[in-house]
Amino acid sequence: MSKAVAGPSAEAAEDPTVHHRTARQRRGLAPAKMQPNLSSMIDIIFQLLIYFVVTASFAIDEGVLTATLPTGAGSASDMEPPPETLDIRLVSAGEIGVSIDLGGTGRLDSFTALASELDGLQFDPGRGRHNGVYAPDDPVVIRPAGDVRWQHVVNAFNAAIKARYTNVNFAQPE
Amino acid sequence: MPSQVHRRGPATPEMNITPLIDVVFLLIVFFMLVNTIKMQEAVEMFLPDLDDSQARELASEGFVIVNVAPQRFQRTERTDNPLRFDSTARMVQIGSQQQFPMDDLSGVTAALERRMERNPELEVVLRADSALRYDEVQPVMDAVTAAGISRVNLMAYDPTQE
Repeated sequence: MSKAVAGPSAEAAEDPTVHHRTARQRRGLAPAKMQPNLSSMIDIIFQLLIYFVVTASFAIDEGVLTATLPTGAGSASDMEPPPETLDIRLVSAGEIGVSIDLGGTGRLDSFTALASELDGLQFDPGRGRHNGVYAPDDPVVIRPAGDVRWQHVVNAFNAAIKARYTNVNFAQPE
Repeated sequence: MPSQVHRRGPATPEMNITPLIDVVFLLIVFFMLVNTIKMQEAVEMFLPDLDDSQARELASEGFVIVNVAPQRFQRTERTDNPLRFDSTARMVQIGSQQQFPMDDLSGVTAALERRMERNPELEVVLRADSALRYDEVQPVMDAVTAAGISRVNLMAYDPTQE
């Protein structure tokens, strides 16, 4: 009386394929894990990190305002200005303060007010400015006193640029 | 008798990254040196801080930086109010190396003229400390325009560039 034998041992006996078993499998150990050496990569990453941190402090947080000045042997103010010149007079107030005077309109409190006032004086139908009398390319002359700090001079220039005047000049110190 | 190689077991693949590290270090040294040289073109100062600044980003080339340097200072002593400081200029520096005293502005003109011969389209970036008096900076502007350079970019602090 024969009895059918079932189970993996019987299937294994019938399977002609030879299965290779590694030494770890024979010992019942889990497969070895790949462990690449990361130390060198970390070294490099740290070096790069330091480099970028150091150069980040070098990043230039500076911008430029472009001016086109008349060239010549220091004779910028020798030219006779045209009659429609728009003058911005800067006089020092106190040790570091400044008093702003826009020709014909009186004193102004701030450079923001100066920009607004300059904008209002401009005639530029393309931008809906119909009430002004100065064209965008009319000369704007910044006339600072000699003791006015450079900060205020550049601020006045910035206000003129903001009001979209394209011909802004600096006079000799008054 | 098994060979020495087989006794140690199968060889594991290892990438030799030593040359890579060498190259990376060289690149780091190179860029740091270049940065240092570029930084020497910019003298330590407090630039004008503008109301609603219209300043734009500096072009990458075709310009020379003209610094009107303030008197020496510790950064901490001016942090609260940069304008409350000596208003006289110390010297003018063109690029990273050429320095001129304030009473030799003809030297500035001559130096810029030599640069103009090499690049007629040269632009000047004028960096002047915010605390300087106008009559300290204006003669430098005259010296620049006397060299035939009309494009003068006034440098200001620009918080959007941070």
